[in-house]
Amino acid sequence: MSGAVALAAGFPDGVHDAQQAFRAVLDALARPGQIRVIGPALPGVALGGAMARLLLSLCDDDTPVWWQCDGAGLPHWLRFHVGASVADAPGAASFAVITDLGQGLTLADFAAGTAAAPEFSTTLLIELPSLTDGPMLAWHGPGIQGVQGVGLQGLPADFWTQWQANHAAFPQGVDIIFTCGERALGLPRTTRVRRLEGV
Amino acid sequence: MLPVFDLTDLNTHMTHHNTTSDYPTRPAWLAVLARATLAELEGMAPATDPLLELKAVRPPEIGMVMLRGRVGGTGNPFNLGEASVVRCALRLGDGPLGVSYALGRDKRRAELAALLDALLQDPQHHDRLQRQVIAPLAIAQANARARKQVAVAPSKVEFFTFVRGEA
Repeated sequence: MSGAVALAAGFPDGVHDAQQAFRAVLDALARPGQIRVIGPALPGVALGGAMARLLLSLCDDDTPVWWQCDGAGLPHWLRFHVGASVADAPGAASFAVITDLGQGLTLADFAAGTAAAPEFSTTLLIELPSLTDGPMLAWHGPGIQGVQGVGLQGLPADFWTQWQANHAAFPQGVDIIFTCGERALGLPRTTRVRRLEGV
Repeated sequence: MLPVFDLTDLNTHMTHHNTTSDYPTRPAWLAVLARATLAELEGMAPATDPLLELKAVRPPEIGMVMLRGRVGGTGNPFNLGEASVVRCALRLGDGPLGVSYALGRDKRRAELAALLDALLQDPQHHDRLQRQVIAPLAIAQANARARKQVAVAPSKVEFFTFVRGEA
């Protein structure tokens, strides 16, 4: 049996909780930049509510997960509940869990899929301190009528330069779901981002 | 595969106090619990301390497993078919994690087996439960298996061929 941290429970109501989270994240990726409430934190799990619920809903034994910080028995927790294995390298992961942006972030490290199979890319789940209090940027693209203003806080300085390259590589590239506590918003590879303030 | 139980040894366990290491190990007691019926488990499940909260880490859930077989027991593996399995994992207070898997769809049975596994890992209850639950169940299961083997033995057919060729 596993080590020091007691294994926490998963969804209280497996089927319905997973369906609600899945529906909400589907909506978040269809309407980039619009915040969706995923659900409250799960007792004993050292992750935000949205992050924990998305992992339980999206991962299974076919989706290796790369953990930026693999403390608190979280990989074991996810493996126990959904069977997801741990990816050794970011490029081998279907999902990546990023909870500390202070360590830096290189989007090119993750799988971008191939031209023939762009769906074999990594989906990044990134926990941010706030989804609304950062510098306001203008998002355009499919799923956005006109312009969507989004103020993500805590991203590295070079993040949006990297995002431009990721967007330009379409149909390849990574998709991102930003989470903060109970809430999440989607940034699919189709979204163009322009700065409104600063340069 | 059935764990091998020496019935005379089990009988001595029931009358004399033995050291912990003589009892069946966890894989063996899990196998015994997996084969126990609901009625047996209901009858033997001890009353738990009401102060300890029973937390379902994985509430009882029903799934399928693929059963595999080998032709003649030694040939190439093949998929025999699927079977329903119910499994459960729970924790009493901050104690050890009890798990169970059992054939069938009886959630209560999986819950009771997981509860007993959790208690068996607790040194405070281990010896008593080994004597009062695991030993009688193991004897009953071994006897049932022996009875079945005796009943089936007369229908055994011996196949043989005459030695041919250069042998």
